Amino acid sequence: MRSKITSPDQIKDSLVGDPPEHWLLHGPTKRYVDAYHWHKPNVGIVASYTPTAQNVEDHFDVFRGVDQIESFTQASVVSCGTFLQCKKMGVVPETLAELFVPTFISIGNVSFHSYLEKGQTFVNIGFIKFYKWRQMVCEGRIYRVPQSLDLDDYFKDFDEQRLLAYDLGSDFTLIAELFDITGRGIKKEIFENLQQLQQQRNNG
Amino acid sequence: MRIYNNYNNNEIMDRKEILAGLIEVLRTVRTVDPAKLENVTEETDFLTDMNTPSTELINIAAKVEQKFDIEFEDEDIDEMGSKVKDVIDLIIKVKARTEAERGE
Repeated sequence: MRSKITSPDQIKDSLVGDPPEHWLLHGPTKRYVDAYHWHKPNVGIVASYTPTAQNVEDHFDVFRGVDQIESFTQASVVSCGTFLQCKKMGVVPETLAELFVPTFISIGNVSFHSYLEKGQTFVNIGFIKFYKWRQMVCEGRIYRVPQSLDLDDYFKDFDEQRLLAYDLGSDFTLIAELFDITGRGIKKEIFENLQQLQQQRNNG
Repeated sequence: MRIYNNYNNNEIMDRKEILAGLIEVLRTVRTVDPAKLENVTEETDFLTDMNTPSTELINIAAKVEQKFDIEFEDEDIDEMGSKVKDVIDLIIKVKARTEAERGE
């Protein structure tokens, strides 16, 4: 694992070039982002992932739709939200993780147009629709990337207008459209209270 | 007749006025059943009495900010209860804080 962020001073102005494991603190088998290629903190992000053999096991060598949603959410809501909150509070991601539980709140419509096989790199193109009180709503698209494309180079001059217009080459293949992907960093004690309340309701 | 759409900061609001404004906000929330707004009191609980999804409280809070020309902090939202009176208390608290910050 590459050396983690130990001081807020090490946080750059964007996520581009940072290892995703610095921002997505769960274990590697469930981390569905390989690299950040473009990021404007209050606007959105472009991040890629290539499904592994383990990701498609028992599923016809195809990356599941639900995992596409997870990848998109990790790339957009979790990465962008963690970045903004760390900046706001002047803390590192690990400190944030001690205070808040990153919670998947809801998803809107998701339309799948094609599929992804093992080894096929895709990009999550996500933009932020709402961000307040540690709740973020994103929407965007997933595209299969042309083989052997240098994504860092391709997105180095990307901008907000191109992001919002999904302005990509015709050799990118639309895989999915995702709407109202919502997550929130819930204070740990509130999260635990909610769990207890739910338990009480379940017990009648 | 008072216009609730844009509260002037110098205007003194009582709890009834805030409740009326809050109900106006709730009428614009898709997941709130309009029929349940007929008998709303300060003791009404968004979650248990109105079956509002807990996640919707954030959207309601955002609309309340606009309606009452105030700005909630993260901690305000963390500490907000689920009853109508909790939201009214919060609006009063934040309104006072906002006015103090603006030197009004």
